[in-house]
Amino acid sequence: MTATDVLQLLADGLVLGTMYGLIAVGYTMVYGILQIINFAHGEIYMLGGFGALFVYAWVPGLRAVSLWLALPVLLVAAVVVSVAAAVAAERFAYRPLRGAPRLAPLITAIGLSLFLQQVVFNFFTLPGGSVGVTAPVPFPQLPGEPLHLGGVTLSHAALLTLVVAALAMVVLTWFVARTRTGRAMQATAQDPKTARLMGIDTDRVIVVAFAIGALLAAVACVTQGLRLGTISYNMGFIAGLKGFTAAVLGGIGNIKGAMLGGVVLGVAEALASGLLPHLPALHMFGGSVWKDVWAFVILIVVLLIRPQGLLGERIADRA
Amino acid sequence: MIPKTSTPAARALVVCGAALSLVSPFLAWTWTSRYPGNLTVYGYPGGSQLLTLAGALLAAVFTAAVLGVPGLRALAPAGAVRALRAASLAALTATWITVGAIAVDLGGVVNVEPGGWLAAGAVLLLAAGAHALPDDTVTEPPPAARLPRAAEGALITVVFLAAMYVLTYGITTDSAQDFLAFLPAAGFGVRALAAAGLTARFGALTARNRIAVAVAALASALVFPFTQTGDQYTAIADNILVFAAVALGLNIVVGLVGLLDLGYVAFLGTGAYTAALVSGSTFSTFDIGPWPFWATALLGMGVSLVAGLVIGAPTLRLHGDYLAIVTLGFGEIFRITVNNLDGTSGPRLTNGPNGINSVPNLTVFGFDLGTRHTLLGVTFGRFANYYLLLLAVIAVIVFVYARAGNSRIGRAWIALREDEKAATAMGIEGFRYKLLAFGLGASLAGLAGTVMAHLQTNAVPENYKFADTAPPNSAFLLAAVVLGGMGTVSGPLVGAALLYLIPAKFAFFSQYQMMLFGLALILMMRFRPEGLVPDRRHRLEFHDEQVAAAEARRTAAEATA
Repeated sequence: MTATDVLQLLADGLVLGTMYGLIAVGYTMVYGILQIINFAHGEIYMLGGFGALFVYAWVPGLRAVSLWLALPVLLVAAVVVSVAAAVAAERFAYRPLRGAPRLAPLITAIGLSLFLQQVVFNFFTLPGGSVGVTAPVPFPQLPGEPLHLGGVTLSHAALLTLVVAALAMVVLTWFVARTRTGRAMQATAQDPKTARLMGIDTDRVIVVAFAIGALLAAVACVTQGLRLGTISYNMGFIAGLKGFTAAVLGGIGNIKGAMLGGVVLGVAEALASGLLPHLPALHMFGGSVWKDVWAFVILIVVLLIRPQGLLGERIADRA
Repeated sequence: MIPKTSTPAARALVVCGAALSLVSPFLAWTWTSRYPGNLTVYGYPGGSQLLTLAGALLAAVFTAAVLGVPGLRALAPAGAVRALRAASLAALTATWITVGAIAVDLGGVVNVEPGGWLAAGAVLLLAAGAHALPDDTVTEPPPAARLPRAAEGALITVVFLAAMYVLTYGITTDSAQDFLAFLPAAGFGVRALAAAGLTARFGALTARNRIAVAVAALASALVFPFTQTGDQYTAIADNILVFAAVALGLNIVVGLVGLLDLGYVAFLGTGAYTAALVSGSTFSTFDIGPWPFWATALLGMGVSLVAGLVIGAPTLRLHGDYLAIVTLGFGEIFRITVNNLDGTSGPRLTNGPNGINSVPNLTVFGFDLGTRHTLLGVTFGRFANYYLLLLAVIAVIVFVYARAGNSRIGRAWIALREDEKAATAMGIEGFRYKLLAFGLGASLAGLAGTVMAHLQTNAVPENYKFADTAPPNSAFLLAAVVLGGMGTVSGPLVGAALLYLIPAKFAFFSQYQMMLFGLALILMMRFRPEGLVPDRRHRLEFHDEQVAAAEARRTAAEATA
């Protein structure tokens, strides 16, 4: 285990973590405003990847050009599918339950999550393929050699993830702090009733929160597909769990915290699966199969010692 | 839209329809016995014809009540017309599904014999007439006359036996067509009884005779293995009982305390793996066992309890939503862990995906559950033995549920569920009571798991997933509680039976099952969040506007009167 190896692990963790961060933002925004965990967010994320793949596979000519040229189209397709699904879910599943006991939206979210996952499982079709996807499907790959920066190897997809995540955070911070809608969101998160009295259309704010979360999740899924080379109908389950963990880690309700939590989680996960095999006592628990377990252990430990998260303040429960 | 008909005409329609519907099951509906249930015989109803007959009988009784036949009016204290409508729909759905299935399965309506046409027409007349009758619903049915205690007990027993008969019919249907006709018929039948006000009457009766209810329920459940000759349906019943036992345990956590546990199946798995490890199986990594059942059960409960406390202690101090996601994570981690403790990717404990097989049968008080026993002239096979053991487990869980739910602890739980802040302000230590419930739920699941490992003779990771096409898995368990009715005993039992039978009987539909299941959860939360068997408090909670409106109407009516 050399220093370069550790650097490589850190870089991989950073890329993975920014991807988690993009998912976590969606959880954190919806939670900050509605105090509900949108369990179906993992499936919204997954739909983005399949939306992009669908367009790539079915629109003639896209496969003939370089993927770099087709990428904007893929991203738009991913975002359209995810945002449409998230907005529809908000409108038809969550909104009617506003004011219902807390259990109701959680159970709806589970139903929604299973439903969306199974729709893709049963009906997603590639040209010349059979109806439905039971196994991971290949995702197009960016051409070109990976970059070597001082011994650390980064693929184009990894770099893209970092760039997109940084850009998204800058734009989002500006949006929330400077625009009218963004400030309306802050107000609604602080006190929905008063916000409504002040003339803010809180329903619209909620829809916007769902849409932004879905947008970032869709982009995250496309980068994930580019990086790993495959996407699968059930990828949203673990990704959603990780995204939520990242949101809790950073302090749920805090947008910057979500990204920070994602990075910490990603790095911790990469280090756990990379370094543990070299430790005498824990070497049996190294390797990629255990990385999800370590992420979960981190979640439990955080909840135990700092339940408000890294950047979170102790928020009064206003249920 | 039903055209306006004068009441005498509607009555005539109903009487004609009921009479013809009663006759039609005794005719042949098709010419070939290729359709399941053999509907070709004159003079003897078979298969789904029994459903039409039952629906028609129910409708005939309520028709008599509508016509004012003396004595029968008492059978519909809350009004007979809506009950008649539901009963006619029971007959209608069962008949039309059967006739339709004959036409589809055998390739054309030509395969429907005159009897089938008569049945289809008769139930249509019946339903049309019933829906044309003016509503006679009584908002406040007269109080029921008190019967002697023994008579009340006998009545309760008869009702439970009848319910058991209906359930047994559902379990033993041997074709998807029959089950498809059975489901709506049973649903509308129950609705007819509810509309007539009989369910409310029975509820009052059971509330007065708690012990009689327990005895009658246990007795009618004990009848089932006596009615079975083979193992085929007893095995199904065993699986339903395992599922129901776990659902009842989850009901404490979700229904009473309002904690959403999404990884409950992991506690079941913990119990199952623990039992398998000490069962003396050659696949077990420990060379111990077989232990007696009580020792295995205690150990399984203990290990599950520890797991529950480890998960619960950090999360139950926080907002309830954290618990949901942490348990969801725990369920997944459990599966990953047992999948990888195989000696190559982790320490050797659970044999990875292969699991621990060849778990021997349990021995309870010297009875080997794997061998046949003869009791009262009836031979009990392996599955019937486990059926009895599972009944005992369920009895224990229901007893714990009823005693805890009705005590200081249970009231504290309900208070926490309803309003945590108010409850805490009243001096209830939320964390301790929640941890108690969570630990109790976990250990009850562990108990069910120990039996499950022996019943299925293995403990494999694939049985303990978050979502799958067959129960028990965490999503189905939660759905059984929600669908049946949170916070009641009968709710999860009904939910578990339905959620086990529907996927099992419609296996040909398995590809779309999970999708429809997800959709059903969404719709359920939207339109009937209190479940099929609602707890009174939950109904008030979910429909407070309607309840308030009804109250207001009543007060207004009283004021004018």
